[in-house]
Amino acid sequence: MAENVTTQRQTPGAIGAYVKNVRDTAKSFWEGMSVTLSYMFRKPITTQYPDRVPVPVRDTIPPRYRGFLEVDMDICTACQACERACPIAVINIDILKGDGKITPKLRMERFDIDIGKLRFVPDPLVPAVPYKPPKGSDAFPRRALGEITRALIAAWDAPPPPFPSKEQLEGDSGAAHGKPKPAGLDPTAMGRQLAAKALQVKEDKPKLAKVFEEAMAGTDCGDCGYADCKGYSEGLASGKDFSPEKCAPGGADSKAMLETILVSLKSGKVPEAPAAEAPPPAETKAPAAEAPPPAEAKAPAAEAPPPAEVPAPGTDAEAPPPATPEPGDRGPLR
Amino acid sequence: MQGWIDSLIRGWGQDPATWPWTQIVYVAFMGLFAFIVINFAAITAGIFSWAERRVAARMQSRVGPNRVGPGGFLQWVADAVKLLTKEDLVPAEADNFLFRIAPYFMMVGFACVFVALPFSHRLVIADMNIGIFFILAVTALIVVGIIMSGWSSNSKWSLFGAIRSAAQIISYEIPAGMALMIPVLLAGTLSTQGIIRAQGGWPWQWFVFDNPATFAAFFIYFISALAEGNRTPFDLPEAESELVSGYNTEYSGMRFSYFFLVEWGNMWVMSALASTMFLGGWQIPGVSAAQLDAMTGGRAVAFELLSLAIFAGKTLFWVFVVMWLRWTLPRIRVDQMMNMCWKYLVPVSFAAVIFVAGWMLVVRAAPAVGTVTHWIMFLAAGVLPAAFFINRVARNIHDTGDKFDFTSNW
Repeated sequence: MAENVTTQRQTPGAIGAYVKNVRDTAKSFWEGMSVTLSYMFRKPITTQYPDRVPVPVRDTIPPRYRGFLEVDMDICTACQACERACPIAVINIDILKGDGKITPKLRMERFDIDIGKLRFVPDPLVPAVPYKPPKGSDAFPRRALGEITRALIAAWDAPPPPFPSKEQLEGDSGAAHGKPKPAGLDPTAMGRQLAAKALQVKEDKPKLAKVFEEAMAGTDCGDCGYADCKGYSEGLASGKDFSPEKCAPGGADSKAMLETILVSLKSGKVPEAPAAEAPPPAETKAPAAEAPPPAEAKAPAAEAPPPAEVPAPGTDAEAPPPATPEPGDRGPLR
Repeated sequence: MQGWIDSLIRGWGQDPATWPWTQIVYVAFMGLFAFIVINFAAITAGIFSWAERRVAARMQSRVGPNRVGPGGFLQWVADAVKLLTKEDLVPAEADNFLFRIAPYFMMVGFACVFVALPFSHRLVIADMNIGIFFILAVTALIVVGIIMSGWSSNSKWSLFGAIRSAAQIISYEIPAGMALMIPVLLAGTLSTQGIIRAQGGWPWQWFVFDNPATFAAFFIYFISALAEGNRTPFDLPEAESELVSGYNTEYSGMRFSYFFLVEWGNMWVMSALASTMFLGGWQIPGVSAAQLDAMTGGRAVAFELLSLAIFAGKTLFWVFVVMWLRWTLPRIRVDQMMNMCWKYLVPVSFAAVIFVAGWMLVVRAAPAVGTVTHWIMFLAAGVLPAAFFINRVARNIHDTGDKFDFTSNW
């Protein structure tokens, strides 16, 4: 009797639990799926900054917002003054002398600003590096602070530019791929060229200074302690200064070239080419070695230069010295 | 398919019976169809991978991948290219041969299903008289691939995933098979096309609303199919929080992409099978299968495409439900998974089979009972719950002060 009662009580209990489990499963499906589907038909909360926002970004920036970091690449001469001035090494600039031709003009390889390190601490309206107008101009039309960033923001808000046409695309790629990549300057070859030139104009101090200036970066950064490149080169030419390592933007290249010029001025002859360039000079040197010693004095100036010297006088005679470029002529730096 | 090719040749003004090389033509067409079907499977799997991310994102109030192509649609192409070009690594301690061959077992088991899976009124690769049996048999090959990959990886995570997967798939084969037996009983055939022909175009003529047991069987099949496809809430074999990635942990590059292709492609397979068996397949409302058979010319093509669209629409809806479930339910435990199978789905599916067998006798004696039950089931189990559910979703949106907004912030 007692057994019957317990089984009667347990059986509906077990079945009840079983049915309850099924009902709970169905209910949780019902509730859960109605919630997820309702979110499917709501607006996602994500803000697609910066190009798909309800209010354009330019309208959300306060008028006195100062968190702008701007580099006006149009006026940058790659003098690296800002890199040296930065106390926390936010700016990293790599430069390379030479733009493919035999000129000492600078070419920027990298201009990185680590915005993660940047603290926006100094008053951005006061540039860290005292601004100097470039050579040949009284002042540079400097852009207002924030103008570049605001232009960038306007570009985000504007509709995307039209897809380039096939002709444009081909023209661009042709221009980009057709030209050989400008190679770096060979400081040894150029140093020997300039040394040969320096020996020719040894007595004429202003001309000698020009030769020295060609070996420098030509940015007038003032890091050498002189007012500009002209001052440093005059100091070298007049024999007051003997240190070739002062040109910071020129770096090791400038140092090597200036060293070559100084050494050759002192010894009176251009140093011999390194082993890598041996073959062409070896042929020219062979007759020079057989010739009597008096010819030796003339030989470096007259015979040794030809392999490298031949193009140089032509370009130098027609074009102005590359060390003093036009204010607007900063193509490779852009 | 052979009949279809024959009619194509006849339409060209030739008699296939007189051709000496008809067999070659059949083989060539078989190769062509195999190529088309494999590509269809791969591309749908790719598209589902994008669709799933968009659906998931919206259900979580996010946006999802929307930058590559219109609405981010081409994201899957970018991902596929990335996966195909990645390095194919084989772990040093792995069983090299089995490790390399395992993904192909998965692919073969998955692709073979498409042989018997219908697409429209005429479009089916092979309308076999053992269609359902064939599908159930070849899907078992996927388990072989999973166990192979898990064993050969020589990694505990992979092995755990493979063993779980084997336990899960073998367990859930039983309720899935029993549930699929019910339409087979009702239609009296194992052929997929035959089962669709036994149903009608209107919802109350579908097998799912035939009687309460078929309604239950539909959900039993769907839950079992989720488990067999390793979909959430049954994604124990690849439980990220426990097993890194389960049986495919050690895979990379193209072989890894095979596993995912199979997983997403399986969504189409399980949904297409559900709509074939229970939801009237490609049947067009108001147009009977006999009328479709009699059509010729451009009219036949138009209705063929309509039937294809109806079948794809039903299938895609259930694909969406699979995604929707994934982002609704959390993963269940192993013991819960086993409980659910052996204590709930298996007994209920057996009971449903017996009930349907008896029910068929009742309907044969009194056909009016069958018609009335169709209508009652359609209204009580189809229309009413759907209306309540839509109301519930609308309330969920409005009660939180939100509003219906499906179009903005794409």
